[in-house]
Amino acid sequence: MQGLDALAEKDERIMLVCADSLLAMRATDFVAKHPDRYIEVGIAEQNAAATAAGLAIEGLIPYFATYAGFITMRACEQVRTFIAYPNLNVKLVGVNGGIAAGEREGVTHQFFEDIGILRTIANVTILVPADADQARQAAIAAASIPGPVYIRLGSGRDPVVFEKETPFIPGKINILSEKGNDIALFGNGVLLLRIFEAAKLLEQKGIGVTVVEVHTVKPIDIEGVTNVLKKCGAAVTAEDHNIIGGLGSAIMEVAAENCPVPIARIGLRDKFPGSGKPDELLDYYEMRVSDIVKAAETTIKRKIQKVIRH
Amino acid sequence: MIYQTGKNMTDRFTRLTTMTSQLRRDVVNSIYYAGDGHPGPCMSIADIIAVLYFDILRIEPDVPLWDKRDRFILSKGHACPVLYAALARKGYFPPSELKTLRMLGSRLQGHPVQKATPGIDATSGSLGHGLPQGCGMALAARRRGDDSLTFVLTGDGELNEGIVWEAAMTIAKYKLHNLIAIVDNNGIQSGGKVDQISGLVQLPEKWRAFGWYVVEIDGHNIEQLTMAFENVAKRGRATREEREGMFIVPGLEPPDPDQPVVFIAHTIKGKGIPYMEGNNAWHKRVPTDEEQKLAMSILGGLDLE
Repeated sequence: MQGLDALAEKDERIMLVCADSLLAMRATDFVAKHPDRYIEVGIAEQNAAATAAGLAIEGLIPYFATYAGFITMRACEQVRTFIAYPNLNVKLVGVNGGIAAGEREGVTHQFFEDIGILRTIANVTILVPADADQARQAAIAAASIPGPVYIRLGSGRDPVVFEKETPFIPGKINILSEKGNDIALFGNGVLLLRIFEAAKLLEQKGIGVTVVEVHTVKPIDIEGVTNVLKKCGAAVTAEDHNIIGGLGSAIMEVAAENCPVPIARIGLRDKFPGSGKPDELLDYYEMRVSDIVKAAETTIKRKIQKVIRH
Repeated sequence: MIYQTGKNMTDRFTRLTTMTSQLRRDVVNSIYYAGDGHPGPCMSIADIIAVLYFDILRIEPDVPLWDKRDRFILSKGHACPVLYAALARKGYFPPSELKTLRMLGSRLQGHPVQKATPGIDATSGSLGHGLPQGCGMALAARRRGDDSLTFVLTGDGELNEGIVWEAAMTIAKYKLHNLIAIVDNNGIQSGGKVDQISGLVQLPEKWRAFGWYVVEIDGHNIEQLTMAFENVAKRGRATREEREGMFIVPGLEPPDPDQPVVFIAHTIKGKGIPYMEGNNAWHKRVPTDEEQKLAMSILGGLDLE
């Protein structure tokens, strides 16, 4: 929430709306500095979303911040009908996105459907910054994106992925390395670190890998994704989200319409997880480095088979 | 209840009463043309809408987004034909446009859409969302430091929705005296009587328990509505010091200066057209040719331009 702090200094319109989520959002400093910018409605997310809509109707830029699932599920209709439909300037900040972030809390506080839900709602921009510093930049960037923006965050104890001040540029894919074009690895959020590991192992095996961060899941960078698919001819997606509806689906949609190539999805395999430590959970639910490596090798084989058949 | 009377006042009430018939005719005709819509819920609020739009609200139809205007949210969005009628008669758009209700490409959507129609301040129709949006708008007005008011008109059926009470809490917490709620208490929701369908009883007690000042009012008495709304608007624009001891209805204990006010307006669904009154078949139904003609003769006009 440091990003919001800096924004509020510059822009009178910035407001923070919480549903007794101030502590979870680590926003107490913001409130200490800007008490008049903070609206607290209590544990009432639907009310928070609709109140934020009212503020935005009047030209303010409210950031409604709480757990990802309470925004995208409990307040789904308020987000859809009263924020997205009138295309209001409400920014939605959801923590505990993914199973690693919800970790020991269990399924009630692990949200792995949020991106899928919001992807079906028109006008919503979806950002998945990789770590805390990227999130800070995403929060600032969101203010300049007209209309509703969803910023998906982890637990706040997430590992650092990028060096501080690495620019976060919404809307475009972020090609992190192009050491060959046997396979493209698309990913975002906490899974990026595992993708980096997988890429190293694949390269050691002589496989050429292109690593791409897709932090803007919607609107997806169709041109950027298509170009990578054309070069590599096969891809693996990896995300801490259900394999249905998230980044994997988004990439497959782009592929199917623009450049049909074999793709495998790494993510939560359409089941309910449970409590555990973040890394244990990702391992147990088949988001291991080895899962990515295996998926890459299998997918490359599918590409070769296709060529032979011709 | 005793109010000042006199020729000017009588003229004022006569003018408003004439307008209520105009709005009711517009409702019947627009639904008749659309072949779809909710006449009963429009009729129960026609008098309230007429008083607000033609006597109380500080609005400039030529400048629909004027900063200092009063805001109005029709939370029971399905009753929008009567709101569209008021906006048209007020001059936001030509009355002939009322015939395009619910048609492809029309600005008059089946339920109100902010930005789509001049004069519509908030999207509504999915029930329960007027109060929380109004909460945000009233907070913004306070932040701007202007004395514009936010009126929210809700049905009684939609008070089944939990979000209404979430917002009632927040509005009382933030002491939004600049937000005025009106409940269209016609006692009937889509499926039947409100108390039987939902167990929603003791409305005044519920609002009081949430920290609101409650005024029960006859929602079809133009004089009562006009005087009470005039007082609540005066109070809404007053400073905190001025609000001390300011009454809404003479003879009733005045609200605390920080309290939000809710009117529980006792109304009759379908009011004004005898074959619709209290008959829930008219919650959503289109008048036949004969029914349309009958309504016009009852309401004293044709207006089928």
